[in-house]
Amino acid sequence: MELPDHFDIRYTEDSDIVWLQEWFSDLSVREPFPFETDLEMEEALKNWMGFAKFQAGLTGTINHIPCALGLLFLMPYRKVAHHASFMLIVPPMHRRKGIGTSMVKNLLHLGKTRFSLESVHVEILEPNPCIPFLKKLGFREYARQDHFVQRGEQAFPRVLLECFF
Amino acid sequence: MHIEIRDTVSEDRSYLVKWLEEPDILRWFPLTDMREIEDAVRIWMFYAEKQASLTAVHEGKPCGMITMYLHPYRKLAHQSLFAIIVEDQYRGKGIGTKLLKELMKIARERFQIHLLHLEVYEGNPAIGLYQKLGFTVYGKQERFVKLSSGNYLSKIMMQKELKEDGRS
Repeated sequence: MELPDHFDIRYTEDSDIVWLQEWFSDLSVREPFPFETDLEMEEALKNWMGFAKFQAGLTGTINHIPCALGLLFLMPYRKVAHHASFMLIVPPMHRRKGIGTSMVKNLLHLGKTRFSLESVHVEILEPNPCIPFLKKLGFREYARQDHFVQRGEQAFPRVLLECFF
Repeated sequence: MHIEIRDTVSEDRSYLVKWLEEPDILRWFPLTDMREIEDAVRIWMFYAEKQASLTAVHEGKPCGMITMYLHPYRKLAHQSLFAIIVEDQYRGKGIGTKLLKELMKIARERFQIHLLHLEVYEGNPAIGLYQKLGFTVYGKQERFVKLSSGNYLSKIMMQKELKEDGRS
């Protein structure tokens, strides 16, 4: 799949938080993430942006306007600093353009080269269509925890996937 | 041996630091030095302030602790990760079992939690205790901990659903 014209990737900046706020104002975008209310969302975004200060975040842009954002959640302790989890958001209007693939590949590259990571892992809350996409990029499932997420009366699993370099 | 289980109080903090400094305890945590220990203890005590932590006491002195890392998000508030630590000389005396059973009780009664889970490194003898109390493995993350020797330890993930009628 060819990337859009004028697509680029840069380090995430503090100001990108307004794009996250806009994208997550759409409740359908929020659904696969653990936060639900506006207060929970704001708290999560604040925590996420803390990692951008370490240049552990990448923002995808089209004509310099953010269209995707991914972050490596670096581990705080030495014994586990060789791996990290990550998040990625590509808002609906920019999906199916190859942006997600490019973002994940670049995040993996960033993890390996800048932070000497040996592997990267991700937590997916089901239902979520991105699992096949991640498996195609080399991720494999290492844990599945039923009843992890409660949405109304229904409980859904979380799936943990990892990719070794 | 008479053991009392009570809510963790701020004064218990120094015991937690002391225990984590013991090499035989520290090896089962992802921590390396005092800076990391202090950080982990700060987080533990944060949950203690929310009454999500219990201390085992023998003759007036703490000898073990257990805490739930309560989830801040509504969608996930029905489940919790927990951690447990028992002082070296008090191992094998049923204190871990007592702490866990009491935790399961307060998890349901205080926090309406019905799924408890834990993370333990391969080779940790506590795995037997968890299995005995009904925890089952739901995942394993290879090469989770990297030791100074360059060797790795896997992380084993276990969970238990707490029954509605209060039985565990």
